[in-house]
Amino acid sequence: MLTDPQDHLAHQFPLEGELRPTFSGLSDFLHRVEDMIVKELAKNAKSHAFDGFDVNWEDQNETVSCKHRLQHLVAQEKGLHVTSISWSCTGSVIACAFGRVDDGDWSAEKSCVCTWNLDRRGLNPKRPNTVIDVARPVMSLSFHPTSPSLIAGGLYSGEVVVWDTNRTQDPVLAQTGMSTDAHREPVYQVAWVPGQRRGEMLVLSAGSGGRVLLWTVDGGSLVLSAGYALVRQQVPHNSSLSKGRGSSNVGVTSLALSPWDSDTFLVGSEGGLVLKCSFSAQELAAAPPDGESVALRAPAQFSFSPRGGPVHSLHYSPFHRNLFVSVGTDGLARLHSLLQPDPLLSLRVSDSYLFGVRWSPTRPLVFAAATGQGLVQIFDLGRKSLRPAATMDQLTSGQPAYCMEFNPCQTDLLAVGNADGSVNIWHLSTELTEQGHRETAQLEQLANEVAE
Amino acid sequence: QAEVEETLKRIQTHKGVIGTIVVNAEGIPIRTTLDNSTTVQYAGLLHQLTMKARSTVRDIDPQNDLTFLRIRSKKHEIMVAPDKEYMLIVIQNPSE
Repeated sequence: MLTDPQDHLAHQFPLEGELRPTFSGLSDFLHRVEDMIVKELAKNAKSHAFDGFDVNWEDQNETVSCKHRLQHLVAQEKGLHVTSISWSCTGSVIACAFGRVDDGDWSAEKSCVCTWNLDRRGLNPKRPNTVIDVARPVMSLSFHPTSPSLIAGGLYSGEVVVWDTNRTQDPVLAQTGMSTDAHREPVYQVAWVPGQRRGEMLVLSAGSGGRVLLWTVDGGSLVLSAGYALVRQQVPHNSSLSKGRGSSNVGVTSLALSPWDSDTFLVGSEGGLVLKCSFSAQELAAAPPDGESVALRAPAQFSFSPRGGPVHSLHYSPFHRNLFVSVGTDGLARLHSLLQPDPLLSLRVSDSYLFGVRWSPTRPLVFAAATGQGLVQIFDLGRKSLRPAATMDQLTSGQPAYCMEFNPCQTDLLAVGNADGSVNIWHLSTELTEQGHRETAQLEQLANEVAE
Repeated sequence: QAEVEETLKRIQTHKGVIGTIVVNAEGIPIRTTLDNSTTVQYAGLLHQLTMKARSTVRDIDPQNDLTFLRIRSKKHEIMVAPDKEYMLIVIQNPSE
């Protein structure tokens, strides 16, 4: 990996080499202050004066509590599940997508996308502020990173839609429709990625057809800008996987964008593969052309050791560029380094499936996992014990918790979307959200360990 | 010139020191061991704070003057040695 130029130490500012200007009196000044500074540095290194001294700037929150339990009765009556949730960039609005995650043909099921503004007075948890009716189940949702009214969604039918919640008449701003470019299978992940031009944002969609597509908003349509196809034969280091029968497409069940490197992304598949991919990959995909307007490329560059079932969720660490965590149907949370195929750590979270995983945005060693039993387990890798630091029961009578997102502004709020159609907003305790003394260093240590 | 570099090196290699910056009277950094953007941030903010600290001391007692400024935070300690023409900023992680 290339080193980041920002990490360059001992940079002489502003000029290097012999052309450094001489500052009169600088030598004398340093001579005057050196002894004093060195004395203080030495005293500080040995001092215990501040040991255990903590200042409470914020109100201490001792407990984890459920602040709101949001429900849309119409959707619940139809037995719809919350498939995806997203916070607006301002952190005030939570949107949730309704669909079905269990087996069956839900292609004709009508569903909706609901939003609640949690900061507005008179919030009614049983009455969403906005209800957008959608003709088909919505499987994934993502708010635009800077425009608080735009939401992208991926549907069961393979369509990708962008809604504008400011529009009163027809909230659909742009959609792919059923064009030849569109996905033919459910779209499990949508996200916004920066485009080539300044301020431009593209919609990324990925689905079980093995396609990762990038769309630009053009008038009322989403136009295909670039595309990638994941084909089993082109997965690197694939010798250990059986070349079984059936489709050679690698169905995408989860995708994670890197906050550190805009060219890299991770893909988790139905078959348990975890792949590191690149947007700038040039190799053409070995998928038979299907009338697409853009040549599809093969993005996979590296395979991590595969899992025993679909990979439901992946998340890059916000504190370490080489770390990510993945969860799937095997009930394990696996901590990986981008630099090696085997995981650094495998944590048994649950006997049931795991549907979501998210790193804490404020505590480098903490992550949350959503289980098929309706629990969210929070783990603190700084603790000696591998038992969860907190367990949050979603009160779904045992039905799964499917998705979780931390509020981007009020980082102690965690939203959880469940199979019983409810979205719970949890307020985490200070212990789970306030960064500890040497956490980043501990995480660094963890990342540098080599797996056995 | 070599003396300047040696002195700064001695300070920088002291236990726990994360960064060393020398700032001129206008608050412009003239020597640093940190990257550009971090340096500019520290220099600007601490120059302002040091001037405020100095005026606080002199307002209370015009015969007094600021000699040293220390800011203790959760993660580290920032030390500022002020002077007429320059200011030395040292950031230390004391518990390393």
